[in-house]
Amino acid sequence: MSAILKINGTKKTFDEGLPPTLSELLNNLEIDAAMVVAEIDGEIIERKSFAQTELKEGMAIELIRFVGGG
Amino acid sequence: MEPLKIADKEFDSRLFVGTGKFASNTLMAQAIEASGTQMVTVALRRVDIENENDNMLAAIDRQKYQLLPNTSGARDAVEAVRLSRLARAASGIAWVKLEVTPDPYYLLPDGQETLKAAEILVKDGFIVLPYINADPILAKKLQDVGCATVMPLASPIGSNQGIKTKAFIEIIIEQATVPVVVDAGLGAPSHAAEAMEMGADAVLVNTAIAAANNPVEIAKAFKIATEAGRIAYETGIAPKSETASASSPLTGFLRNE
Repeated sequence: MSAILKINGTKKTFDEGLPPTLSELLNNLEIDAAMVVAEIDGEIIERKSFAQTELKEGMAIELIRFVGGG
Repeated sequence: MEPLKIADKEFDSRLFVGTGKFASNTLMAQAIEASGTQMVTVALRRVDIENENDNMLAAIDRQKYQLLPNTSGARDAVEAVRLSRLARAASGIAWVKLEVTPDPYYLLPDGQETLKAAEILVKDGFIVLPYINADPILAKKLQDVGCATVMPLASPIGSNQGIKTKAFIEIIIEQATVPVVVDAGLGAPSHAAEAMEMGADAVLVNTAIAAANNPVEIAKAFKIATEAGRIAYETGIAPKSETASASSPLTGFLRNE
């Protein structure tokens, strides 16, 4: 069963169903959790809560990281 | 040199360095090291979920360099507050360089939105370092709402034009009770020295280092210039005169008169 998340403003379809948690989504996307901060539907998710954060169809997820800047 | 105190933290270096525009993380790390800085700015952006993401933080020794996340990209107070909170979650520290720049061409800061965001962030426990136009009234208002510094611009960000706002920065320095950090537009080590001689408490430099032919050497030059300017300010500069004042004795000339 396919499911959709909106990640960083773009819809992404998961043909095999949603990853159950935010941690598993990051694994799935091959993103190192240590370098990102997340926001789901406008709420900041602390890194320590990634593994407990369950994902649901249609959630808007922002994955953000530090880059060089002045 | 006296140490610089911001909020409850002391810094021996009065040069803050921005981490944007470096050709590589290695070069950035070497330039940071050469600058002697103890505080570096960083920005927050979306992860690219289709491509590999470079982890620039890995190149910064967090024991030696305090991170100062900025809110670059924010166009109003709401966006700046959101970015500040994300930065706090990402870095674990509540320091923020508050910048609200709705105009993409000159990147000039919106004072009204900056003040609005500063009030919210200070109440939320942030150490707020706002980037502002060289506006003494705004600087006072930001100080009054609890900002830890004020950071007036010398000239537009990344323009390397030097201190075009001198008369107004001088007023801010005269009136401020929080440290004044001259930010943006310092293009040459002499500009940094000039700001420090004027009595600025610190300077922030990014483009002039990152975009130089040799960022590591120029970072060293900025370090020396910042220190020279500060020492000159602390000790005082000899007075100016309208006429010449001979450095050599005016007696004992080898002529008959």
